[in-house]
Amino acid sequence: MTAVNAPTLLRATGVSKSYGSLEVLHPIEFSIKAGEVRGLVGSNGAGKSTLIKILTGAHRPSAGDVWLNGRRLQLGNPHLMMDQGIACIYQHSSLVPSLSVLDNIFLGRQPTTRFGFLDRRTQLQAAQKLVAEYRIELDLLEKVESLSTVKQKEVEILKALALRSCLILMDEPTAWLSHSEVRKLHATIDTLRSRNIAVVYVSHVLDEVFDICDSISIMRDGAIVWEGPTTSIDRPRLINIMVGEKLGKASLESLEQKRKPRGTGDIRLSCHALARRNIFSDVSFDLYSGEILCFAGLVGAGRSDVVHAIFGAAQLDDGALQLNGEAHRFRSPKEAILAGIGLVPEDRRRDGLLLAHSVADNLVLAALKKVSRSGFLSQKRRRGLALRQIRNLNILPSNPDRVVSVLSGGNQQKVLIGRWLETAPTVLILDEPTVGIDVGAKAEIYGQLRALRDEGRAVLVISSDLEEVLTIADRIAVMAEGKLVSIHDAGAVSREELIAKIGGD
Amino acid sequence: MIGRLSQLGGVWLGRPGFGLSASLIALVAIFAILSPEFLHIDNLVGVVHRVTTTGIMAVGMTFVIMTGGIDLTVGPVLAISGLVAFFTFEGSASVPLSVLGAIGTGAAIGALNGAAVAYLRLPPIIVTLAMLSIVRGTALIVGGPILHQLPEGAGYEFIGTGFLFGVPVSVWIFLALAMLTAFVQRRSAFGLEVAAVGDNERAAFLSGRPVRLVKTLTYVICGATAALAGLIQSSQVYTASANFGEFGTELDVIAAVVLGGTSLQGGRGSILGTVMGVLFLGVVSSGLNILDVPVDVQLIAKGLIIVGALSARAGTQGQI
Repeated sequence: MTAVNAPTLLRATGVSKSYGSLEVLHPIEFSIKAGEVRGLVGSNGAGKSTLIKILTGAHRPSAGDVWLNGRRLQLGNPHLMMDQGIACIYQHSSLVPSLSVLDNIFLGRQPTTRFGFLDRRTQLQAAQKLVAEYRIELDLLEKVESLSTVKQKEVEILKALALRSCLILMDEPTAWLSHSEVRKLHATIDTLRSRNIAVVYVSHVLDEVFDICDSISIMRDGAIVWEGPTTSIDRPRLINIMVGEKLGKASLESLEQKRKPRGTGDIRLSCHALARRNIFSDVSFDLYSGEILCFAGLVGAGRSDVVHAIFGAAQLDDGALQLNGEAHRFRSPKEAILAGIGLVPEDRRRDGLLLAHSVADNLVLAALKKVSRSGFLSQKRRRGLALRQIRNLNILPSNPDRVVSVLSGGNQQKVLIGRWLETAPTVLILDEPTVGIDVGAKAEIYGQLRALRDEGRAVLVISSDLEEVLTIADRIAVMAEGKLVSIHDAGAVSREELIAKIGGD
Repeated sequence: MIGRLSQLGGVWLGRPGFGLSASLIALVAIFAILSPEFLHIDNLVGVVHRVTTTGIMAVGMTFVIMTGGIDLTVGPVLAISGLVAFFTFEGSASVPLSVLGAIGTGAAIGALNGAAVAYLRLPPIIVTLAMLSIVRGTALIVGGPILHQLPEGAGYEFIGTGFLFGVPVSVWIFLALAMLTAFVQRRSAFGLEVAAVGDNERAAFLSGRPVRLVKTLTYVICGATAALAGLIQSSQVYTASANFGEFGTELDVIAAVVLGGTSLQGGRGSILGTVMGVLFLGVVSSGLNILDVPVDVQLIAKGLIIVGALSARAGTQGQI
């Protein structure tokens, strides 16, 4: 924990940002001490990104000043902010994959010899000193592309340290990390704290915020609405402040749901010894109508490969598959969909959305038959379908003709779910349905999944977020290294047990 | 001037095509001022008449490009379909059979292109480049180096030279085809599937769309329209030759499509835009003709105008 009387490192006074007459960030006061780890939380659109972008220099504020170590900073210039000691680590890597760790650390400002060549010796010495000082285990000569995601984050941290940064902003740094990797990253943050470096930690994953942060700032509607030490707030109150009373309640209720393992008792999807060479093997499970079965595990455990193989979108070498008691082997998603399966893929932008198309076009894509007569689209039915799902799922903005790419992540995800609701699937599979989505939208999506379950559909959710698995699952299947390790009734298994299974112990 | 008008169009309405229509009007105005005879009704009909073959091919090409593909075979397909019609007529003396044979040949070549792209997953530019060579070679074997004179009273020369209500039949064909395909593109499940495949093929596949079939069909359509263009061209000049549709034909067609606002990346575009693009090219070349610009200079001017129009659009709408 930070010493209470540590000196103030950064102070922002009256900083605001407007676009035309729209003020997206109201004048705020924000300060952080040396060696402090501050959690910055809020729903999407609360103003977190705007604040972060002002601190990185990507945005110039409309008003206000920022002081670092008592010196007023010149704002609105990313390069200058870096030189002044503020670094930022983003959700997606900003490293050059084909270069070595060392080259990445010094990219753009390599020390050179008298003759203008790269001075590798000085580089290496400087980097080794940093690695030793901050206790980071890294092979400096390895190429970045061969490193795990968490190691890449550490390279970015090293890069910041090499710049003598005193404040590191981390924007959703754990979005693509597994549990053990998150722990590793937190250990590194601990070291940073002990070396008096301040960290602003932006995350939707509240467990992490409570775990690592000394203090928390909650943003809503472009303002900081609460600020204080982590010890003075608990999770329910934080959610309430963050999303407002009503949504907060819904989100809390979702934590106290009844579990319905094996739902109505009717097996919808039965898989026996599914296998695909070198990817997964021996995957057997039954999915019942009226239950939510969660696949927990690490990224790369083979969970997505299994569901894609079931869905006919990837090769299945071996095993037997039954849907509603009939044997099937789907050769394409089209066949699987006709038989009553739906799949919301993991990466919504890459595999799910038609980004240049409207919300309505995206919604009708899997159910074109429903809105067309002898091959021609009925504009009335297309619109009717779109409005129905927009209302049903509370998709905002509610205009069916809006291009889907301008919607927030949560609303885009709702569009993809709506697409499948219109095919009325008996089995709905969702692969990481809430990655990068704010708490409010998450609660809505959980509510929707429960509603589907209660209608008697069979729901299969892949999630790497243990918090999520424990929130929505009726049963939990654990996969590790391409094998289905175990299946548990939710409620009958502890978090610690699950973590151990997921890790392959 | 063109650029500025085009930009204004983009700002006002923000829709593909409006910038182009503004440029088109501007261009017509310029030519009309420089040479008042440009606005004469016969000249205006003539402008459209001269671009009908390009226009018919561009309509088919729009579907292909909207999936993110490209078809470079339209030139040789145009040539070989004229020959097929000629020889079918020589053998059977049947107009319907000749027309069917020609369009069937184009569609079959398109099916081969489409199958190679969709099922063998080969890059469209390579597939159709290879097919361009194969079809041209085949045409030369079938037709030889000579011009084949259509027999007197062949019947199907009506397609290229006939008039209906004072307007050439080929212009009617172009207009009818454009309206039909515009309707298909905007209002049919297939039209949405084409755009969906171009926007995000993986998403379309995972949503149960028959992606490979859709892709193949776009090449079939493109081949069929190229064959129709070949039929029209051959009957316009009363001859069939393996050398018709020379190098540059496909470039005019693709330029018209892209000028019309269809993205080369796929996903976005419209038939109506393509029609505007075709008219734009027609006005440019016809205006330059009236101004007595030599052919070699015309080529350069046309290239510059295309680049200018495209960069004006890139300024307002980003990606092309």
